[in-house]
Amino acid sequence: MQRDVGSFPLAPGLRAKLIGAGFQTAQELLEIGPCELSKEIGISKEEALETLQIVRRECHSNATKTADDPEAVGKCTALELLAQEQAQGFIITFCSALDDILGGGVQLTKITEICGAPGVGKTQLCMQLAVDVQIPECFGGLAGEAVFIDTEGSFMVDRVVDIATACVQHCQLIAETHQEEDFQKSLETFSLESILSHIYYFRCHDYTELLAQVYLLPDFLSEHSKVRLVIVDGIAFPFRHDFEDLSLRTRLLNGLAQQLISIANAHKLAVVLTNQMTTRIGQSQSMLVPALGESWGHAATIRLIFHWDNKQRLATLYKSPSQKESTIPFHITPHGFRDVHPPPPSQTPAEVEINPRKRPRIEGDKQ
Amino acid sequence: MVILRAGLCPGLTAEMIQLLKANSIATVVDLVSSDLEEVARKCCLSYKALVAVRRVLLAQFSAFPVNGADLYEELKSSTAILSTGSKSLDKLLDSGLYTGEVTELTGAPGSGKTQVCLSIAVSTSHDLKQNVLYVDSTGGFMASRLLQLAQTRTGDEEEQVEALQRIQVARVFDVYKMLDVLQELRCSVSQQVLSSSGPVKVLVVDSVSAVICPLLGGRQAEGLALMMQLARELKTLARELSMAVVVTNHVTRDGSSGHLKPALGRSWSFVPSTRVLLESRESTWGQASTRRIASLTKSPRQPTGIEVELDIGSCGVLEESPAASGEGR
Repeated sequence: MQRDVGSFPLAPGLRAKLIGAGFQTAQELLEIGPCELSKEIGISKEEALETLQIVRRECHSNATKTADDPEAVGKCTALELLAQEQAQGFIITFCSALDDILGGGVQLTKITEICGAPGVGKTQLCMQLAVDVQIPECFGGLAGEAVFIDTEGSFMVDRVVDIATACVQHCQLIAETHQEEDFQKSLETFSLESILSHIYYFRCHDYTELLAQVYLLPDFLSEHSKVRLVIVDGIAFPFRHDFEDLSLRTRLLNGLAQQLISIANAHKLAVVLTNQMTTRIGQSQSMLVPALGESWGHAATIRLIFHWDNKQRLATLYKSPSQKESTIPFHITPHGFRDVHPPPPSQTPAEVEINPRKRPRIEGDKQ
Repeated sequence: MVILRAGLCPGLTAEMIQLLKANSIATVVDLVSSDLEEVARKCCLSYKALVAVRRVLLAQFSAFPVNGADLYEELKSSTAILSTGSKSLDKLLDSGLYTGEVTELTGAPGSGKTQVCLSIAVSTSHDLKQNVLYVDSTGGFMASRLLQLAQTRTGDEEEQVEALQRIQVARVFDVYKMLDVLQELRCSVSQQVLSSSGPVKVLVVDSVSAVICPLLGGRQAEGLALMMQLARELKTLARELSMAVVVTNHVTRDGSSGHLKPALGRSWSFVPSTRVLLESRESTWGQASTRRIASLTKSPRQPTGIEVELDIGSCGVLEESPAASGEGR
């Protein structure tokens, strides 16, 4: 096995010692025993044994890997992936226009990033998704659980209660019109208490806690295997203040993104992140762009930008591997995240925006 | 720097090695470059035996110079030019992807790098009937999009299925696993484990900076070492196994001038032989009038600065046609 010693996951000091002693390829390491190795490069016998075990394991797994061994690196043909993707569900958002431009809803195994100015509805969508992921399968949902990692403190339980109640009522209406048994059965388990008890909430106060939480997430997920959604509300907030070393910030963010996408892939869940906006001053004008810099733009697979157009909230799909760019309007009602319905001439639906913490955009506007 | 071991060549025994080591000659380079008379005297070994050993070691470990004409003939017979499926992109790359070389696509988020990669994969698998290995490290691979691209090329379902079967996908999210995948590819080819339609001809790595960026920067030099390991693996695969390697890279903002430049720094800029920059010009994220421009920033054959316009529609990366130019995207 002509694999270079530098390509194994060993500690840097150890690697330097191995190369200094003249070991170039894995083949040379496999030929000697741990005692000789420890004598030659001057490390303890336990370290030598560990090193040889790592090298042997990597080499043997390479040799015995066949095309059917899926857990090693996860190679499969595009056809198999297609079958997997088509069997996967989406997390609906209750706003059919948004679901359409996303291609069905928030996709599993991908990172979706929502950027927007303050007060435009990012946390509202996150809370809506945390409820929607729990919709039972017979109603078209995923029957999963949600993890909500909050860094800004914007999670309001009473708002989630409103959204969940509206969702349960919606499902009850569907069950009544269809009159099937499994609908009734699943409605028994789909209640306000069960929804709230299946949202796992973590509060992180600074970036160290956030990083620790994300790195400990795989252990949590292996105990709670029904989790289908991980929300990080406010990934920009802990990284935007209190950071002198910008290259460290880029490194940490990239590492975080890779950890999140590998969790999303391994446990088949969706990851939703919210980001803030910052102003970029160009030559002639200034624009609002998502925060955290250029390199962060590559981390998310799907990027949605929420913005205002006079008094209408708009969502633009800015980056997606399979859908083209488009913009749709949406509303935030007392029941949660909803479509914009053109007001029929006879009744005028009262669209009151509930924004208890942020300044209302329109002062007391009722249509 | 190969260490001297017993049995490395006939005549090199364990006692000889012990004596040589006692005089601080541990590797092949040390033995070959030292004065053999002195060594024979100090280690009490026979001069003739040492000369014989040196001759064998030189034959075994040195590189052989190749005549330029022979090299040219060899390249002519072993290099293939693979069309990317899009005429304008082929024009940019001097008629397509060359095997034996690494081509890099770089661009801002949302500029279309993954789309171009998917398009290349489908056209290689369907039009040229060759195997493709797609290494995805960002999660941007969508098999349903591949199916869409295949469906616009042929209406026959069997052909679509075959085209998808020739594309192998590996999802890796850190650099060691990526090195594992590349090593495994090399082993499987060298052990001649052939799949149904032959060896892999195109290797797409999307993206290479996603796995390297978390390691670069700061005071650690580890990141650079791993990046160069990866670069060496990619170039060896390209050259020895006659593959065309396509990698994608991110962009960062240059601190001083404010322009966008490819990520991973100057050291990486020497690795790919061709670099293409993808941009969307005159677009804001509210409007729909994006023009996607691909420009050549580094090439061994063409002058740099050539630009072509790409149209990334539902059919993949097509060339700009007068009829399509009216539709805004």
